[in-house]
Amino acid sequence: MADGNPRHVTEIRAPSGFGLELDRVTLERARRGDMGAFGAIYERFGGACYNLALRVLGEPAAAEDIVQEVFLKLMASLRGFRGDAPFGAWLKRMTANATIDTLRAHQRFREDDPETLFESMPSQAADAEDRADAWSLLMRLPPRARAVVVLHQVEGYTHKEMAELFGQSESYSKSILARALKRLNDAVATTPESKEAVGDA
Amino acid sequence: MHEVPLSKLDLRQLPVFEPDPALWSRIAQTHLRRRRWRQYGMAAAATVLIGVGAALLPRPSTGPEAPRWAEAQHESQVLEAEWRRLADGGRPTTVGLTRLRSIDGALQAAYDRGADADEIAPLWQQRNAALRDLIVRFQDASANDAALVTRI
Repeated sequence: MADGNPRHVTEIRAPSGFGLELDRVTLERARRGDMGAFGAIYERFGGACYNLALRVLGEPAAAEDIVQEVFLKLMASLRGFRGDAPFGAWLKRMTANATIDTLRAHQRFREDDPETLFESMPSQAADAEDRADAWSLLMRLPPRARAVVVLHQVEGYTHKEMAELFGQSESYSKSILARALKRLNDAVATTPESKEAVGDA
Repeated sequence: MHEVPLSKLDLRQLPVFEPDPALWSRIAQTHLRRRRWRQYGMAAAATVLIGVGAALLPRPSTGPEAPRWAEAQHESQVLEAEWRRLADGGRPTTVGLTRLRSIDGALQAAYDRGADADEIAPLWQQRNAALRDLIVRFQDASANDAALVTRI
């Protein structure tokens, strides 16, 4: 850990719920305003929208608001979906945008300086059970850092794509990601299990 | 330095949560409510436009030399314009068209044989009634579409 490389955070390459495909018939029915088709789209992608928002915002009610906002927007604008990109990618971007907008609206996005962003992060003095739990560790990151980690590590966004989403430079998200992953890995390294592993070595 | 096991912070271990089962129902209801309001707004705007259009269109002469059916013919133009606007924006339908075509045929035949006003004026009134019926059918169909919620 001396070099601070985020070796212990595993990046997900398998597609999330957004990677599922949507059949043409359902898409065409939805374009014509068929509520049954919208319902089928929700069944397929609603959970992915909810979990993305929840992982970033950390609050179920706020995540449900995002899902509602995204699907209302989807139902109003689906006729404009040209199909250039996979439907799931289009929906994921809508969800990511809505989530980032919510972070901005809730003033959780004030810190533009990656250095100061982590100042509000709680100390590492969490209990051992918390430290070993990926969800708890993620929730201990500042919301903006959480957004970067989730979008990059879980949803597969590149730094270039995140630069567009956040309205910042690529180096900005790279910097936040490196700091966030180091924090996470430092926390993992201090678990009793990992200390035992070091002792056994 | 000894590596901490990867599984300690494998983001694939992040739990997957389910949203409130009633969430879709709330979203669908909100969507339908908004759509209904948009339709009401469009219907109100159309009503205003018909009124304004009727007021602005050149009025047929109502002097003694004007045919008795001139008012009905003018109203028919306004109604037909509104019906075509709805038909262009909505799903195609043939319901009610047979009656309209039948009246148009009768009108044409009446003009061809030089029928008098007593015969032509009622035909224009029938045509207007048929157009009003078509417009109402379109509006009812739109309202039914809006009210349709498929349960999943």
